[in-house]
Amino acid sequence: MRQEFYKTLTSPVWLVILVLAVVLPPLLPSYYLHIVILALVYVALASAWNIVGGMAGQISLAHSLFIGTGAMLSTALLLKLGVNMWLGLVISAIISGVMGAMIAWIDFRFQLGHLSFVLITMAFAEMGTVIVEGWDFLGGASGLLLPQDKGDFLAFQFGGGIGAFWVMLVLAIVSILINVAILNAPLGYYLRTIRDNENAARAIGVNILRYKIAAMVISAMLSSVIGTAYVRYLTFADPYLLVSPIIIIEVVLFATVGGLGRAYGPAFGALLLVPLGEILRGKLGGTLPGLHYFIYGVVVIAVILMSPRGLLPLFEKWFSRMRPKAATSK
Amino acid sequence: MAEFLQALAQGLLIGSTYGLLALGMGLVYGVSGVVNFSHGDFISLGMFLCLALYSAFALDPYISLVITVPLMTVIGGLVYWYLLRPMVGHQFLMVVQLTLGLSLVLQNGILMVFGGQPARTPSVVESKLLILGDVVVRVPHVIAFVVSFAMAIGLYIMLRSTDFGRSIRAVHQNAHSAALMGIDVSRVQTLTFALGIGILAIAAALLLPGTPIQPAQGLRYTVITLIVVALGGMTNFVGIMLGGLIIGLSEAYGTIYLSDTLGMLLPYGIFVLIMLFRPQGLTWSSSR
Repeated sequence: MRQEFYKTLTSPVWLVILVLAVVLPPLLPSYYLHIVILALVYVALASAWNIVGGMAGQISLAHSLFIGTGAMLSTALLLKLGVNMWLGLVISAIISGVMGAMIAWIDFRFQLGHLSFVLITMAFAEMGTVIVEGWDFLGGASGLLLPQDKGDFLAFQFGGGIGAFWVMLVLAIVSILINVAILNAPLGYYLRTIRDNENAARAIGVNILRYKIAAMVISAMLSSVIGTAYVRYLTFADPYLLVSPIIIIEVVLFATVGGLGRAYGPAFGALLLVPLGEILRGKLGGTLPGLHYFIYGVVVIAVILMSPRGLLPLFEKWFSRMRPKAATSK
Repeated sequence: MAEFLQALAQGLLIGSTYGLLALGMGLVYGVSGVVNFSHGDFISLGMFLCLALYSAFALDPYISLVITVPLMTVIGGLVYWYLLRPMVGHQFLMVVQLTLGLSLVLQNGILMVFGGQPARTPSVVESKLLILGDVVVRVPHVIAFVVSFAMAIGLYIMLRSTDFGRSIRAVHQNAHSAALMGIDVSRVQTLTFALGIGILAIAAALLLPGTPIQPAQGLRYTVITLIVVALGGMTNFVGIMLGGLIIGLSEAYGTIYLSDTLGMLLPYGIFVLIMLFRPQGLTWSSSR
């Protein structure tokens, strides 16, 4: 099974991505570069969420806590206590990991059903929002402003624009590769067993608590690191954007629409929907408030009705249908 | 003591409307297993319809009901038939995502028509107060309380002793057997969804007097409703009304006795604790 992973690593697709990544960004107008960076942020976040939501089948809405911790805590540590943001990134990731482990433990200890898990993590997410907005150390409701990005790598600065692009590209690829690795490792099989039939998994001796915690901790720490990198790119740590239930709702949307539990599904969903949303906003944002979101919502509904199993499976079906035809025509 | 009683009255009155908001969702969940994340936006829709009728014809929200309830019921039926029915049998999360898409459409449709400014819809009873000893309550809240419980009882009787109610219960208990008994399951599910949205039109009018409304409020109502439904065990009517009262009371006491942040945390904290330590109240967890 390891071979699958190494095969992915040596795939020629990486070369194509590398060439594109070197050539394209300097050519892109900054507005389109911004869209690409945003898409990569959500590719990374949706893939990180997929480890818990897709593979283990636990629809966690508490991930806004991890993203928010990575963003707000690292910023607060830098601004209020002068802690280097690299260290802040590590501290935030560890705290997110601990929170994730606690949530996984609660889930195991109280034997939560699927729906209870969704609702309890939703309550945790809401509590996180209230706490951040009410706690001045984390910026309260007004948020925190990071110092200008001067490109000092040791201070977690990447010079904005193209620098941020590379950081996000690396994070997105790492996030996807972790998905591929887990899917092909024993952990991935255990997680899918737990998702498909928890009692059967228990009966054949799968250590449920251990694997649930493992999945949640990996996913939480990854989300937190992405959160830190995202806030550095945004410069402004806005609690209404980064700790709100909206961000996790978006992430879950991309992951689900793309194809849950697949290594590339969530990435695919984010790559399609984020640019769509941003371009709609850019073209229609100035006209009638609400119009671009309205159209976006209609598109989301249409896409789901068209491909209730996710977009990636739908495309695979089309692709496999086209292929034999191409073969016969030769 | 006066403070305590005031909070008690406030909590009970507001809580009863939370219960009413949640009844519709519980009904829909019981019959079709759909957790509707656009629930709060349908409440918004009900409120803004009242506002539109007030601006156009100076109708009081309570009178607007004559128009909004049938209208919302029809909208609910169409939404279920054309959007949710095709999703039957697909992943639970996909259906949730579809209702989230619907929430975007509703919320921003309202924003396009009415703009983003907070608005108010006046009513004749808006500023009237009822004074009972030390406790002062607003008349709209009393009306909401009475109507909510009347509606809950009415729904309960409807489920007990009408044919439609019996078919709803049959589909809830076992959709497959119900179909074998000659019940048109899709039809019952559609009508239930329509009924659920129709109830929201009433709840919207009850909540409206004195409450500023804005298009972005939907998600907050959805969250409150979900919490109340879950507390009530998803489909148990008595449990849902009780859940509404618990959340209403914890909000009222939280804001009076605790700091801002802690007060806002209280309902969520209580919710999490109840969910963890009283899973037997959650009737659906054993059957799923």
